[in-house]
Amino acid sequence: MTWYEPDADWTYADRKLITTRCIVLWLFMGFIAIDFLVFSLVFSPGWAWGAVAALVLGAWYTWVVVRGVTAHAWAEREDDLIVKRGRLFRTVTVVPYGRMQFVEVSAGPLARAFKLATIELHTASTGTDATLCGVRAADAETLRDRMTARGEARLAGL
Amino acid sequence: MTPPAVPGPARPVYSAPREWTRVHPVSPYLGSGPILGFIFLYALTRVLPSWVAGGNSEYEALNELPFMWLSLGAVLVVAAVVGIGVLAWRRNAYRVGDDAMFHRKGIVFRQHTQARLDRIEAVDVVQPLLARLFGLAQLSIQVAGGRGSAIELKFLRLGDAEALRNEVLALAAGAKLPDAVAEAAAQAPQSVGPASLRDLTTHVGETNPVTAVPAAPEHDVLAVPTNRLIASIALSLPTAVVAIAAVALVVAAVIFGSVVGEAIVAFVGTSLFAMVGFVAAVLGFFWNQLNGGFRFTVATSPDGLRLRHGLMEMRRQTVTPGRVQAVVVTQTVLWRRMGWYRISMNVAGYGPTEQRVSTLLPVGTADDVLLALGLVLPDVTEDSLREVVAGHGADNGFTPSPRRAWLLDPLQWRGRGVRAGQHALFIRSGWLTRRLVVVPHERTHSVGVRQGPLQRLRHLATLSVHSTPGPVRPIAEHLDADTALDLLDQQAERARHYRTVGHA
Repeated sequence: MTWYEPDADWTYADRKLITTRCIVLWLFMGFIAIDFLVFSLVFSPGWAWGAVAALVLGAWYTWVVVRGVTAHAWAEREDDLIVKRGRLFRTVTVVPYGRMQFVEVSAGPLARAFKLATIELHTASTGTDATLCGVRAADAETLRDRMTARGEARLAGL
Repeated sequence: MTPPAVPGPARPVYSAPREWTRVHPVSPYLGSGPILGFIFLYALTRVLPSWVAGGNSEYEALNELPFMWLSLGAVLVVAAVVGIGVLAWRRNAYRVGDDAMFHRKGIVFRQHTQARLDRIEAVDVVQPLLARLFGLAQLSIQVAGGRGSAIELKFLRLGDAEALRNEVLALAAGAKLPDAVAEAAAQAPQSVGPASLRDLTTHVGETNPVTAVPAAPEHDVLAVPTNRLIASIALSLPTAVVAIAAVALVVAAVIFGSVVGEAIVAFVGTSLFAMVGFVAAVLGFFWNQLNGGFRFTVATSPDGLRLRHGLMEMRRQTVTPGRVQAVVVTQTVLWRRMGWYRISMNVAGYGPTEQRVSTLLPVGTADDVLLALGLVLPDVTEDSLREVVAGHGADNGFTPSPRRAWLLDPLQWRGRGVRAGQHALFIRSGWLTRRLVVVPHERTHSVGVRQGPLQRLRHLATLSVHSTPGPVRPIAEHLDADTALDLLDQQAERARHYRTVGHA
């Protein structure tokens, strides 16, 4: 066993998450690149290297986003939820439904445009890092309701 | 500490209010205000003579103003301070309901807090020095469920605080039905009446007030002798640093002679502020250790665990049964010869930074540690708990960090180890300071495994068990990756199993 691959029904983050993240990334990087290009026209051509650097950085970070999103998945098991994320620094978190205090669904304007949502699970511990990114908006509500129902059925005190 | 409640004819009886009741009227003026006031007064008395005498050009601007205006300004300032205090006091009220405790306060931003009695984790009666002089106390009620859910009442008469604590704990434990408590309160032969400024003279030095619901009987289990506390502070890291610095200076002075003396004078002269900060930090450390551990007593009662301690600031904590989420037993290298340990705990509601409330035992022997662990984690009955506490690294069946972890963790890898006991997970770590973390399986909130790129090269991984915020962070670093992943599965399963067993 090299890494955690239990027999579970893994749901991977929606690929549209790559698009939304890249839009934000390239808005920022494009802004910087254009700045440098303007500098190169106004001052000296040497500034153009800044634009090249921004584009290279953007390309590299795009690759990081793609790898990150394709590594992010979760699986609902009978008693707990498993979340895995990350390639370079990879983590697996197991959150028992009975320990969930509340489940939060959120979606920003960009995520809404792509029909995505983020689900955050909260336990009494602040160490629990169980955030599901790139959940299809259509599934988010049912997933939340399902987890809340399971949590109530298995609710444990502190 | 806890006599039976036999109210004599002359002794008034305190009870917790069912209607909205204000805190003590003197409260707004008992915080840091008076200290600032005293500093201001002191400054004023230093300045006043030369001002009144005149001839000092510094105060020319003030002398230009008519005396009436100055007096008026002073009166307005005093009136504003008093007025805001009165307003704050009028808005600061509390009451006890059948299944919750309510508190409201605030002038502009109004705050209304409600603490469900069945979720109470801890109730502390705190008496800072100034409050103690006037027979007042502060009551903090910690509730499970995140930030801002705690209730802090400052200040109440000591009797009110104790009455409130006793009733809240009795209600929380379900020891008495709400009706019975209310009846007991109503039947109190002679009620004390509402708090007023007159109390400042009549209740001074009251140490043993009579309450409608008597305090649950306490049974002292552990006490930290003062001489051991002082010795333990003397054997602490800051002391070692100070001692080493002093020895180094003396040695340098002997070798290099008077040059060193001049160098020291020059150094002190140029960086006086840095020195003041350093000395203040060291003295502050000593003071916190002494104040927090002075006459530290661990007692049991039907209400839960009782901790009493304090030199200037007296603190009496009650942690309701089964609310300790995790503990850490630490031993610094200086304590190893003496066989001393310190225990800190995670209690939901106590924040992560509050060292003084999260201490279960400031200094104790191995026997004390076993006793204390038995009190807070009664299920954790390993046959070799003594060896588990005293051991290091792989001793007593712990799974150590593999040898190949040395490159990532050169100092601590030998000290690391993890063992899943029958009822709890034990995690060892540390090099000079050895730590043993104990997390009961049923108090495991979630479990995670993390692996970074360097760890992957060495086939290592880090297991973390998530506990409530506090000084205990149960993390087993640099385990063998397979072991860590197996443990992840097993811990999740154990946590589930013991939770359901415990719950049924």
